[in-house]
Amino acid sequence: MICRSALSRGSKLALGHQGARGFAAAASPKASYEPTTIAGVKVASRDDNGPTTRLAVVAKAGTRYEPLPGLTVGLEEFAYKNTNKRSALRINREAELLGGQLTAYHTREALVLQASFLREDLPYFTELLAEVVSQTRYTTHEFHEEVKDIIHQKQAKLDASAVALDAAHSVAFHSGLGAPLYPTSSTPIDSYLNEHAVADFAAAAYSKPNIAVVADGASEHGLQKWIEPFFKSVPAQGSGSLNTAGSKYHGGEQRISAVGQNAVVIAFPGASLGASSPETAVLAGLLGGESTIKWSPGFSLLSQAAAPGAQAQATNYAYSDAGLLAIQIRGQSNAVKKTAEAAVKALKSVAESGVSQEVLVKAIAKAKFTLLSGSEVGGVGLVHAGANLIHGGSPLKITETLKTFESVTGDKLKAAAKALLEGKASVASVGDLHVLPFAEDLGLRV
Amino acid sequence: MPAPSLVNYVTKRPWLHKLLQPVANWYTNASLYRQMGLRADDLICEEDADVLKALGRLSPKESYDRIYRIRRATQLSLQQKILPKNEWTKPEEDVPYLSPILKAIEAEAKEKEALDTLVPAKGH
Repeated sequence: MICRSALSRGSKLALGHQGARGFAAAASPKASYEPTTIAGVKVASRDDNGPTTRLAVVAKAGTRYEPLPGLTVGLEEFAYKNTNKRSALRINREAELLGGQLTAYHTREALVLQASFLREDLPYFTELLAEVVSQTRYTTHEFHEEVKDIIHQKQAKLDASAVALDAAHSVAFHSGLGAPLYPTSSTPIDSYLNEHAVADFAAAAYSKPNIAVVADGASEHGLQKWIEPFFKSVPAQGSGSLNTAGSKYHGGEQRISAVGQNAVVIAFPGASLGASSPETAVLAGLLGGESTIKWSPGFSLLSQAAAPGAQAQATNYAYSDAGLLAIQIRGQSNAVKKTAEAAVKALKSVAESGVSQEVLVKAIAKAKFTLLSGSEVGGVGLVHAGANLIHGGSPLKITETLKTFESVTGDKLKAAAKALLEGKASVASVGDLHVLPFAEDLGLRV
Repeated sequence: MPAPSLVNYVTKRPWLHKLLQPVANWYTNASLYRQMGLRADDLICEEDADVLKALGRLSPKESYDRIYRIRRATQLSLQQKILPKNEWTKPEEDVPYLSPILKAIEAEAKEKEALDTLVPAKGH
């Protein structure tokens, strides 16, 4: 039968029992970023000789490092504003004329200034990023006329799932990683966030030890040539200090009432960036969530557990010294409640009776795909490469990590799930608290 | 549209600047705004979008002081009086606080206009 033969061939490929070279192996030469240092600036680059380039400055200025609340978002919104050399308008119009795209975004650990452009425009955008990093003026009128407005607009867009994920981080890590990724409109940041505080934070964060330049699709020669002259103006030592306390997992529960939307996050200690714990990645793949194929909920435990009207997804949020394996559920309150109960039940069944070999193969394949596609598109690999450099690690070695995934067995997965359930969970519920369950009712220890 | 001015022409030539300085001082005194406690920048006409934007960019202290000076001057004008001599604005206090901001705003508008009307070079 066609189906069976196709399936068995696929699983053999996934298990790597065949001697044939897989696609991952063929793609591996370009898959990893190569770290170097150019004129005191940490650089990670890879070049596939494509027509476009992505160049990013990854700074150690994510929310865990901000000394006062709200400074990271302030610094993010001040990206590409007036500098000593040119105006914000000119920066935008020139980038448009060259067909480039400028973005600034942040994670909990890193602030990323990213430019995507045509390969031959490398000198222009290298100069631009260096200028933004070292010569932005942080003017009062831009703060009042533009930055504040944008922050308020983005706060208005925050939904229950974002608030729940922030709350789960907050109970899991307290300060540092527990700082909200985006402060909500009820977070009192006005007394901390002003243009002077942002300028001080920039002086501390935008210095050579705290930034990394990540280039995807730029020639080694071009980087060597242009980074040195343009990044000369970046200070070798930052002034002021960042909040660099280490992370410790606490666990706990938080419940926030909100109107209209419901979200529950059930989180456990996960794998950090450098840690080699393939079980966590495979467990995240096994829990899964949104179906990746059409016309079927898929094999993953969460997509089967999700009640109609709710979506569930498991992700391992990996940071430099900690990780959080989070199951995020959102939707209508009753459906969210049912899904949360079913998700915990599914995890318990893994801890007690393990999983079948077939499901394990699928979960490993899913984890592999997530890793590879994540490092290929969407800038995720770019941020990881940069974050690893500024934290003193080396960029993710894709091929090696893939091999460790294959070593995961059913027993290891079972043990990992058991360890999670025995430890303390971090549970956050946002929405209709009359319906949403307490962690204890779900059968979790907090 | 501001009135044509010879300021730049004069300030570029030190000898001419030096020659005309006493005349300028006499004129400033004769215009009597310092005797009412005002600064030159307080006299800039407010009914203008750029000026309003510039006023919005003043620091709270500068903004408060400006309103105080204008209200005091209005009161004096009503009473047909001038301030006692020790309260007159001293020449060193009469610094431009609004015109630099106004100039920056005008430069921004000019730059925007220039970028909006870019003409691509032929042959590209």
